[in-house]
Amino acid sequence: MRYIFKFPDIGEGLEEGKIIEWYVDKGSTIQSGDPLVKMETDKVVTDIPSPKSGVIAVRYGGIGDTVKVGSALVEIDIEGINAEAAQRMASEEPKKASTESVDEQGFGGVVGTIEVAGDGAYLPAGDEGISEREQPQARRKALATPVARAMAKDLGIDINQVTGTGPAGRVTKKDIQSFRPSTHAQPALKATPEGSLDRIRIEPLSQIRKTIAKNMLRSKQNTAHMSIMDEVEISELVNARARLNEILAEQSIKLTYLPFIIKAIARALKNHPVMNAELDMENERIIYKNYINLGIAMDTDDGLVVPVIRDADKKSLSELALELKDLMDRARNRKLTLDDLKDGTFSITSYGSIGGYFAVPVIAYPQVAIFGIGKISQKPVIKDNQIAVGNVMPISMSVDHRIVDGAEVSRFVNEVLSYIKEPMLLMV
Amino acid sequence: MVYDLIVIGSGPAGYVGAIKAGQRGLKTLVIDKKYVGGMCLNWGCIPTKSLLESAKMLHKVKSAAEFGIGGIDPADLSFDWQQALKRTQQIVSKLSRGIEFLWKKNGVEFLKAEAKILSPTQVEADNRILETKNILIATGSRPAQRKDFPDALSLEDLYGLETLPEKPLLAGRGANLVELAQFFQMIGKQPIILADDLPLMPSLDAYLESYIQKQLKKNKIPVIPTIEAVIKDNYLVYNDKEHNFDMVINVSFRSAILPESVPVLELKNGFVKTDRTHQSNIPGIYAAGDVNGKSYLAHVASAQALEVIDTIMNVELPQDERQYPLNIYSEPEMAQIGFTEEQIKAQNLDYKINQYPLSANGKALTEGSADGFIRILFETKYNEVLGVQIVAANATDLISEAGILMELEGTTYDLARTIHAHPTVAEVYMDAGAIEE
Repeated sequence: MRYIFKFPDIGEGLEEGKIIEWYVDKGSTIQSGDPLVKMETDKVVTDIPSPKSGVIAVRYGGIGDTVKVGSALVEIDIEGINAEAAQRMASEEPKKASTESVDEQGFGGVVGTIEVAGDGAYLPAGDEGISEREQPQARRKALATPVARAMAKDLGIDINQVTGTGPAGRVTKKDIQSFRPSTHAQPALKATPEGSLDRIRIEPLSQIRKTIAKNMLRSKQNTAHMSIMDEVEISELVNARARLNEILAEQSIKLTYLPFIIKAIARALKNHPVMNAELDMENERIIYKNYINLGIAMDTDDGLVVPVIRDADKKSLSELALELKDLMDRARNRKLTLDDLKDGTFSITSYGSIGGYFAVPVIAYPQVAIFGIGKISQKPVIKDNQIAVGNVMPISMSVDHRIVDGAEVSRFVNEVLSYIKEPMLLMV
Repeated sequence: MVYDLIVIGSGPAGYVGAIKAGQRGLKTLVIDKKYVGGMCLNWGCIPTKSLLESAKMLHKVKSAAEFGIGGIDPADLSFDWQQALKRTQQIVSKLSRGIEFLWKKNGVEFLKAEAKILSPTQVEADNRILETKNILIATGSRPAQRKDFPDALSLEDLYGLETLPEKPLLAGRGANLVELAQFFQMIGKQPIILADDLPLMPSLDAYLESYIQKQLKKNKIPVIPTIEAVIKDNYLVYNDKEHNFDMVINVSFRSAILPESVPVLELKNGFVKTDRTHQSNIPGIYAAGDVNGKSYLAHVASAQALEVIDTIMNVELPQDERQYPLNIYSEPEMAQIGFTEEQIKAQNLDYKINQYPLSANGKALTEGSADGFIRILFETKYNEVLGVQIVAANATDLISEAGILMELEGTTYDLARTIHAHPTVAEVYMDAGAIEE
């Protein structure tokens, strides 16, 4: 039985990828789960594993070629599978992708989330499969020509919203080309008379933007957001950082404030495990995570990415600094892998590095909380009953009140700020 | 009494349009001065195909021994023109009765007379003035009169001949010219093509044109450009070589047969100028088929007439003119639909061509007709099929699959994915669709 494996949307809402390296040749025997090909996408470089065991019958595309999501990557001859089993496999529901936190540096409280494939979520089968017969529980789908479908996918248009002008309402290429989002979906356009399109510009949503929109809404609809804001005087931290940078200069390591804050948060999370948990309403339980993986929002030319520092509580300041630098470099060069983006348990956004004191960050559902760092500035502070010039860092934190109460949040923030105010405490 | 529609001419535009009009409840009258069915049925599409079939059978029977059939000596074989004509006549009269039956069934009246348009609502015929709301001119075309051979026979005249010429000179251009030349060649005559211009078939992809030129060479049919020929009484000189002929047949490009009309119809290159709905410059007067000069294909004429009826019934037409197959009943047959490679290039599209030979097709080999190929021209963004060209014994039937594929904006993936029965010649679609570099 021949299995046609199409380049799956690996959960990032991506549209295409570039082939970096093939791990198989025509005729290679491959086991399910073994890597087939290394692909570079908008965000990451990742290995695509084989969904099936078998022999590679056809390989599509060479190194450097761009492959659209949904185009065939390989055809695999599967031994000993009858048509019925193959059909069943093809129609299996894809495993659900998990969501990880993303927030956007420099956009204040506007915190995005992108969907990142979780374990086993590599193969949302979609229309990929052996037989093109209608799946047993057929979804209602628009009658459309093959080219109209491909074009709609390409342009990010939901074909079910397009009115078809062909026989029996079939959606044709022309219908896609002349499609404008409905006035229902975009009331702002309603008032726009036809022909004044020079005053506005219409651009279909990119996959990533659609995913962000969906996830933001999901967070707001599924959690009870509560925010707390505070300020902390960080002169000690300023000094500590300066001294450490002198010492580390030999190793060419330069510390920013972020590693200190990561350490502070990681330490506090140990004492407040509910901040590092997940609410499982369906089963009426709380899932506590015994690992601390901090998602760090990074702004890149291509958009927002949130790579994860794993086991942040177990890493030294210099290790954190090196890891942050590495992640930032790879984020900017689109060399992050899917593994870099997976499994965050708590998120940090340092919007203040671009601007803004306070914000209301949006939680990266289903995480419990997100910690935001505002712009550090010199301000008058009271020291020994005197007005003095202090270095003040504002912070903003959002939590899911369903699972955490206000008092607990305040205690958590107090602890984090105590480490930031007096970094020596981190040594204890 | 006022008709809703008077159709002048009863060829593929006229009779098809009239039937549809009747079905739509329009009070319809067809007027034709000569035959029911027009040129297509009486001396065009159908009779020529019937005669070609006779010639092709003769051609095929010659290789009977190769297929394991004994008792046939190719030297004994001959072509019985009168019998071939008789068979043709039977087919024509059967189809002609079919049209009359369909008219009757759908309430369409018929008048055998010469028609004259008096006004957008009046037609004179049979010494009567008939009132109508709409007029459809479907009077067709005929080969343009030749200056070099004013007395040349037309295709229509050919059917009146007792015997056929041995060395006919076929003067003109187009698919008919090629078909007729191969017909004469297959029945053992020595035809000469006097080509008014090259390519012989300008609507065809250059690839197909070059294929047919080679085929004619193989058939030993000389193709002589008119401009380079010195024509004498019964021979012509070309490249210092004399070519004798005993009859001239006019297969020139066509000119419109225009009905007499009091309202002045605007013409374009001698044809009735029409808009997208096939309406002339005079509202209420339409022209469909050859007479409007958009195409000389029967199926296009019919499609245009149906669009006229839609327009009269206030049905909006799609903006684009439709794709239609172009069939050449040559040996082997050729068919084409959609854009040619030249047309795709002119649009600056990224495209590829998947070509698959018939010699790799099992069914074609068993039939002893493995000459030919399929070419699929597609753009490379979505792999939408933009054109299909086929050379095969049954190319003119095979092309229909491409027609529906393109009507539905299909891609090469759809071809590759569609399960085709084995063994069939149509499998070449699947094979060509599946070609990957």
